[in-house]
Amino acid sequence: MDMNFNQHISAQFNADLETIRNKMMTMGGLVERQIAAAIDAICDGDSAVVEEVIRREDEVDRLEVAIDNACTQVLVLRQPAASDLRMVIAVSRVVRDLERMGDEACKIAIHAREYTQSSHSQICQQAIRSMGAEVVKMLTGALDAFARADVSDAVDVVRNDKLVDQQYASALRELITYMMEDPRSISQAINILWILRAIERIGDHARNISEQVIYLVSGTDVRHSSLSEIEERTQQ
Amino acid sequence: MTILKNHDTKGVAFVDDAKLTARHVNVFYGDKQAIFDVSLDVGANEVIALIGPSGCGKSTFLRCLNRMNDTIDRCQVQGDILLDGEPIYDGSMDVVPLRARVGMVFQKPNPFPKSIYDNVAYGPRLHGLATTRVELDAIVEYSLQRAGLWNEVKDRLDAPGTGLSGGQQQRLCIARTIAVDPEVILMDEPCSALDPIATAKIEELIDELRENYTIAIVTHSMQQAARVSQRTAYFHMGQLVEVNPTEQMFTTPEHTLTEAYITGRFG
Amino acid sequence: MTDSSLSTRQKVERSLARRRATETRFHALGFMAVLFGLLSVVVLFGDILLKGSSTFRQTVIVTDIHLDAQFLGLTPRSKEAHIRRADFEGLIRQQLHAAMPTMTEDEARELHRLISIGAAWQLSDWVVENPQHLNQTIRFELLADHLVDQWFKHDRRKGISQRLSDVQLSWLHEWADSGQMYTRFNRLFFTHGDSQEPELAGVRGAMMGTFLTLMVTLVLSFPIGIATAIYLEQFAPARQWINLVEININNLAAVPSITFGLLGLAIFINLFGVTRSTPLIGGLVLTLMALPTIIISARAAIKSVPLSIQEAAYGLGASKVQVVFHHVLPLALPGMLTGTILAMAQALGATAPLLLIGMVAFVVDVPNAISDPSTVLPVQIFLWADSPERAFIERTSGAILVLLGFLISMNTLAVLLRQRIERRR
Repeated sequence: MDMNFNQHISAQFNADLETIRNKMMTMGGLVERQIAAAIDAICDGDSAVVEEVIRREDEVDRLEVAIDNACTQVLVLRQPAASDLRMVIAVSRVVRDLERMGDEACKIAIHAREYTQSSHSQICQQAIRSMGAEVVKMLTGALDAFARADVSDAVDVVRNDKLVDQQYASALRELITYMMEDPRSISQAINILWILRAIERIGDHARNISEQVIYLVSGTDVRHSSLSEIEERTQQ
Repeated sequence: MTILKNHDTKGVAFVDDAKLTARHVNVFYGDKQAIFDVSLDVGANEVIALIGPSGCGKSTFLRCLNRMNDTIDRCQVQGDILLDGEPIYDGSMDVVPLRARVGMVFQKPNPFPKSIYDNVAYGPRLHGLATTRVELDAIVEYSLQRAGLWNEVKDRLDAPGTGLSGGQQQRLCIARTIAVDPEVILMDEPCSALDPIATAKIEELIDELRENYTIAIVTHSMQQAARVSQRTAYFHMGQLVEVNPTEQMFTTPEHTLTEAYITGRFG
Repeated sequence: MTDSSLSTRQKVERSLARRRATETRFHALGFMAVLFGLLSVVVLFGDILLKGSSTFRQTVIVTDIHLDAQFLGLTPRSKEAHIRRADFEGLIRQQLHAAMPTMTEDEARELHRLISIGAAWQLSDWVVENPQHLNQTIRFELLADHLVDQWFKHDRRKGISQRLSDVQLSWLHEWADSGQMYTRFNRLFFTHGDSQEPELAGVRGAMMGTFLTLMVTLVLSFPIGIATAIYLEQFAPARQWINLVEININNLAAVPSITFGLLGLAIFINLFGVTRSTPLIGGLVLTLMALPTIIISARAAIKSVPLSIQEAAYGLGASKVQVVFHHVLPLALPGMLTGTILAMAQALGATAPLLLIGMVAFVVDVPNAISDPSTVLPVQIFLWADSPERAFIERTSGAILVLLGFLISMNTLAVLLRQRIERRR
């Protein structure tokens, strides 16, 4: 018996799964660009970019629906099992997270309009920049881990989420200081707060994607587990 | 591909409350070895599914459990198989009462060319389970009810069993097996000749029978194994590759071969 | 390879005509083969029927007979043995004489020759049953001699005569024209054994012999054959010597039947001292002949019992013997019966082996037990076919018809039995 375990007996099944994965990656790339563009827009104040981000949000939504439908199709027609089943389930969950990230990117872009128009535009710019760069890196890392089915890369992303959370906490403290010093900046600070919050959420979603990578590869469901638990369970 | 040599079975092959215990079972057809060192427990009141590609030895193993292989001349069974701790291949174990305790349902519905009543009554008559006609009637009715066939056939018990539809015939065969009050029921691809509705009925029946009986089922349909069993055992080329709880088997199998078979990469 | 300018469909269509022609040709060939077979059967049966059907009519001459008690020396109270000893032949002669008083001695002798010697026996039989008619005049059908019988049935209308003198012919014409001579159903043929006189020869002896012989064969070969087949199929271990047994059984089926006769002669008669010429020895020899056929067909019938049914019974805890008797045997029985009937039909027609064990003897008495000397139908046919008399030729065909009737009724019985068993399932 000579066989290639990478290939299904049904070539069409192979093709279907491949399509789903590729579409998810395309969507991931799009969301990645959206986030990067939104964060750049805050710092550069480029309103054209803002409009572009808001416009492309629709595209992200459409991709989510299309991929989800494709997943349902495979579930119904092929009754996938084991790794195939985990793949379809993981993709279906990942696109949900990606769509939420897209929403967050859109929110950042909307807030960016007001942020750039205000006089206090220097507040927390450093934090926004570094956190933004960090979450984009996380998303890239999570998608790479998914593509390579690499658990340790996925665990790294989860670890990075911790750092982003810490940055978020310190940025909050900075904001509070501003607000206490100058009550006139409060409305602007709240705006910035929303932006920071959105970036932090994007980090959480990137972490969720990494958790799905762990599920995809090892079959263990690590959602709602602490970092140490995840590290412990992926060691086995 | 992965070469299986002296490997250990992955997963959990042994349970605490074992009804049937197989240890180091080897089966030969003449010079050809069909089963290689299989050790497996079948727990009380559980449904265990045996899956694997054609010719993997799952049916052969199943047929060892009630010594059905005795009827094949060149078949030789080594190792220990115990029913409630008693070795069944021992000289002291008579095959007739053994088969009354470990019943079997076959791939193709095979009712006797007799009436529905006589089909079900055959086993009880054979073993003298009923002394009066009233008792026999009661056994027949109970068995047909357990098999979910009573309402369909109660008005025509004298009609030939072979005149029923495929699904009904298979339920008649199950009723016939139940009629001798076995402890274990072995099923060798019981639905492979049936349509989906009949299959669903049999699967429903298997689920109900689990309260009273221990069931080992060989199936080619992985969906069926997933639906009816609590544990699944995967056989490959005469070896027991993996045994695990069914839900684990179908989401995260441990062995590459199991994974490849379950996901339809060969088989 | 092929003409690539044509599409697949064109190629298929091109080959279609050839295929259809082959099919039609084969169809016609098969039909012709069947037709030839049917025609042969029709010709054969037609010929036999044509030649043999006249056997079932017998010519009689009806005449008034005065049962002269004084002449016969009888009284109405005479015992049967006494009646049988009386000179009825003389009485018939006297009565015929009385009808034609002007006859010379030679003419009288020629007249007597027209009447069978059986006529006197029939008359004495009649008187035994109706002694009260003594001294009365009765109308009695006198059995005609076989020469007369043949002339009346075949030659009269053609205007030829064999071995009959002119004066005899003139009487015959007279009787025939006056309606005194006619044919009636030939009961004798079915109630008498063999005889030197064709008009008195019947197949009853051979029929009884055949029946008894076949009974012996059936009683011996059916149980032995079925038991052997069951053992070989269900119980015998797969060993070398079983193969040997199988090969030998298959070979036996092809052994020329005369060999079985020699075997019977050597073993049953010479070694065990069984009486020759009896249905018992005939049955023993035919059993040897029928066994291989029965065993082979019974084994085939057992093999055709679905394994799934046997497995179902084993699965319920039935023992081997129970499986055999509850399931295998009932399902295989129709096939076994067919094989047995085939073997019986073969035994029915077997002549050669029986010649060797003395069943070719001339037996007048109808056998009543398996130890009585007897002959069988095919041997009787063989004997008659050898006789010079025209009347025996006719009887040969008649006996063949009886044999065929036997065969057809046996086969019908087999079919009915089979249907009955199959319907019971």
